[in-house]
Amino acid sequence: MEKLSIKDKVMKNKAYPVILLTLVVLISILLLMYINSITKAIITKQKEDKTLAQLEQIFPDMDNFKFKEEIYIVYRKEDVLGYAFTAAGKGYGGEISTLVGIDNDYKIKLINVLSNNETPGLGTKIIDESFTGQFKGLGIDELEIKSEGGKIDAITGATISSKALTSSVKEALRFNSEIIESSF
Amino acid sequence: MTDTKKEISTGKMFWKELIKGLVVTNPVFVLVLGLCPTLAVTSSLDNALGMSAGVLFVLLGSNLIISLIRNITPNLVRIPVFIVVIASFVTILSLVFEAYLPPLYESLGIYLPLIVVNCIILGRAEVFASKNGVLASIADGIGISIGFALSIIVISFLREILGTGSLTVFGTRLFSIPVLSESPLSFFIMPGGAFIVLGLLLALFRWLGILKNE
Amino acid sequence: MNSSGASLITIFLGLVLINNFILAKFLGLCPFFGVSKKLSNAMSMGVAVIFVMVLASIATTLIHKFILVRYDVEFMNIIIYILVIASLVQIVELVIRRTNIALYNALGIYLPLITTNCAVLGITLINSQNNYNLLQSIVAALGGGMGFTLMLIIMSGIRERVEYGDAPAAMKGLPLAFIIASLLALAFMGFNGMI
Repeated sequence: MEKLSIKDKVMKNKAYPVILLTLVVLISILLLMYINSITKAIITKQKEDKTLAQLEQIFPDMDNFKFKEEIYIVYRKEDVLGYAFTAAGKGYGGEISTLVGIDNDYKIKLINVLSNNETPGLGTKIIDESFTGQFKGLGIDELEIKSEGGKIDAITGATISSKALTSSVKEALRFNSEIIESSF
Repeated sequence: MTDTKKEISTGKMFWKELIKGLVVTNPVFVLVLGLCPTLAVTSSLDNALGMSAGVLFVLLGSNLIISLIRNITPNLVRIPVFIVVIASFVTILSLVFEAYLPPLYESLGIYLPLIVVNCIILGRAEVFASKNGVLASIADGIGISIGFALSIIVISFLREILGTGSLTVFGTRLFSIPVLSESPLSFFIMPGGAFIVLGLLLALFRWLGILKNE
Repeated sequence: MNSSGASLITIFLGLVLINNFILAKFLGLCPFFGVSKKLSNAMSMGVAVIFVMVLASIATTLIHKFILVRYDVEFMNIIIYILVIASLVQIVELVIRRTNIALYNALGIYLPLITTNCAVLGITLINSQNNYNLLQSIVAALGGGMGFTLMLIIMSGIRERVEYGDAPAAMKGLPLAFIIASLLALAFMGFNGMI
């Protein structure tokens, strides 16, 4: 007569597969929640540090910021140094994301290209200081490339990238100036 | 068998499984599995190294666990169980990278979580770990991971040198090739370049007789 | 900034032509290189993948919005997404087996393999990353899937012709397929800047 061990009896049970699967899922969830609790604080701090570093590139003498309605309000002690917001534009190879910093007169302080997918060596020149530096001090009406009446020199061989960046900055400035004007 | 004989044969078996992953069952050039990350992360040496470490962690972990529970896992639910185990390891990897190695995390992008559907890992779980002992499974995991790592490092080596004219590892530039670094062949860091490098390497290995022809 | 303001046409065309799943993002390569030379099989495979991609996108976008973000457990996305996909593929498999046995046999082992197709998990991750709403996710899934299917059809047609050519032994089969893919990728780069 065959003696079935306890293990065999358990495994022959019809509900066993589901129970095992549920057990595996539960253990995984617990494990992941544990790891998450350890890493969460570090990750959040990193994101804040990164934002701070990006803003400091534009406002070197800032000491903290607030985030309201998708706009950064940049402070030094109690004074508002200016504002910053992200501009998203359709570039040649994908989305161009730029951090635009303005002073209290709605003139551009500086821009900081955060990410892009442009052609290496050509369109990627939009991140160079020689291009972005042109935006300093410009108001909304001057934000076009020279051939269209504005003050920005497009990069030779990368007209589309240059135009895309410029128009995204202009649009973001227009959009966010209204919000700042009305709610802040 | 005396104890020493058993030890030696276990040791031999371990090394045999390990070396197997380098050539005989090389995941990239022989099994041709896990193409997605292979082509995507080989655009830079840093990415290739990061991905290799990730795959080693996940493969080792999943092979270990799946081998451990292979006798209590009924056939009916084995695939979902494998998936949950693998996905857990990938999630842990993702969180750890996000917290401690943010630049690598960002440049690997979606290819990091995609490790979970990397056929290499599920494949080894199904073909090996679910049918073999723990020690053998660990050896298999290490071997396959090293095979994978070497393969993608070779590919990324070629792509980065041809595509940017220089080789940079974790911020330190190893060397630059004079003429190439001024006008690099950027095609090689683009997707088209990935395909051609892999295809030509595959043909080369077959021609050299290292791999069998189709 | 509301980058999810991207228009639907941009999302769709962007994924089919510029960020083609196979040629630019390297997603869905296993079936691509293993595709049969029969056009009808390539089509069936493509349609099955599109179907799963759309369903998975709907399910995961809802889960992301109403569960993951709301309860701050976004790190669970990998496990949950892949389990959803695995379940969907099982269901689709069952349905096809009951309704169209010819299709079931034609797809063979490639049907369950849709679970591990990077394109499916890939699109769900892309949707969450870009914070697409439900409509955008569906359009993205359609775009990604159609781009994938387009390449499958092109590849199956080309490989059929290449069979008759005279390639060196070392190049036959896979290496040649890779070179072809490389040329296709190069050609598709011409679509950059189109939208």
